[in-house]
Amino acid sequence: MDLALLASTFVTVFLAELGDKTQLAIVTISGTSSRPGAVFAGSSAALVLASLLGAAAGGSLSAVIPTNALQLAASVGFLVIGLRLIQRSSTSAEAGDEAET
Amino acid sequence: MSPDPEASPNQEPAQPVQSAQQNQPDKGGIPIPENGSAPAWGVAFITTFTTVFLAELGDKTQLAALLLSAQSGKPGVVFLGASLALICSSLVGVLLGRWLSKLMPPQQLERLAGILMVALGLWLGRQAVVALAPESLPLT
Repeated sequence: MDLALLASTFVTVFLAELGDKTQLAIVTISGTSSRPGAVFAGSSAALVLASLLGAAAGGSLSAVIPTNALQLAASVGFLVIGLRLIQRSSTSAEAGDEAET
Repeated sequence: MSPDPEASPNQEPAQPVQSAQQNQPDKGGIPIPENGSAPAWGVAFITTFTTVFLAELGDKTQLAALLLSAQSGKPGVVFLGASLALICSSLVGVLLGRWLSKLMPPQQLERLAGILMVALGLWLGRQAVVALAPESLPLT
């Protein structure tokens, strides 16, 4: 086991990932979901699978997978989740106003 | 963020709601808000998995892993290191989200989170569209 390589990979990936859009997505999903365990399991599984694909492909990933099309699909997913959250917050605001009066 | 005239009347009544939530029994110190429309475990898992997986493919972290993997010729070690780092970073993200949900009234957090997700979606979508069709757009 090459510990130096393991440590350098860990540090590189961890620092690159801090404050990344993926982590922001995890923060928003876990903050607004009542299932933190499911969010953690889902995000971990997705990240491990993505890094498995990355390590296995070793540079030819963009030739195998249309990454730009996938990013476009992800952006649609982000928009849908975001709009649903805004909609939910405004409907619960209306419900709260009705309950007060 | 500028104060929303619609949101400001809700700020004060939100406080007693929060303290009422704190009276609920905790599970390992993490208060889980009782939501009437709480999604099932599997739904939360699949939503998170799909979003994160799609967003992560082609991301710079993957490119870093690719580079290290190609340089070292030891993809197994690179995979292990990258996986541990990603699990740690997603744990940080989940804990940060839990902490924020304790700090803010859920409704305000949902609105902020929604705005953030829409902004991320627009940014990501713009990047993908520019990469897919660089010539046809005057954005770059």
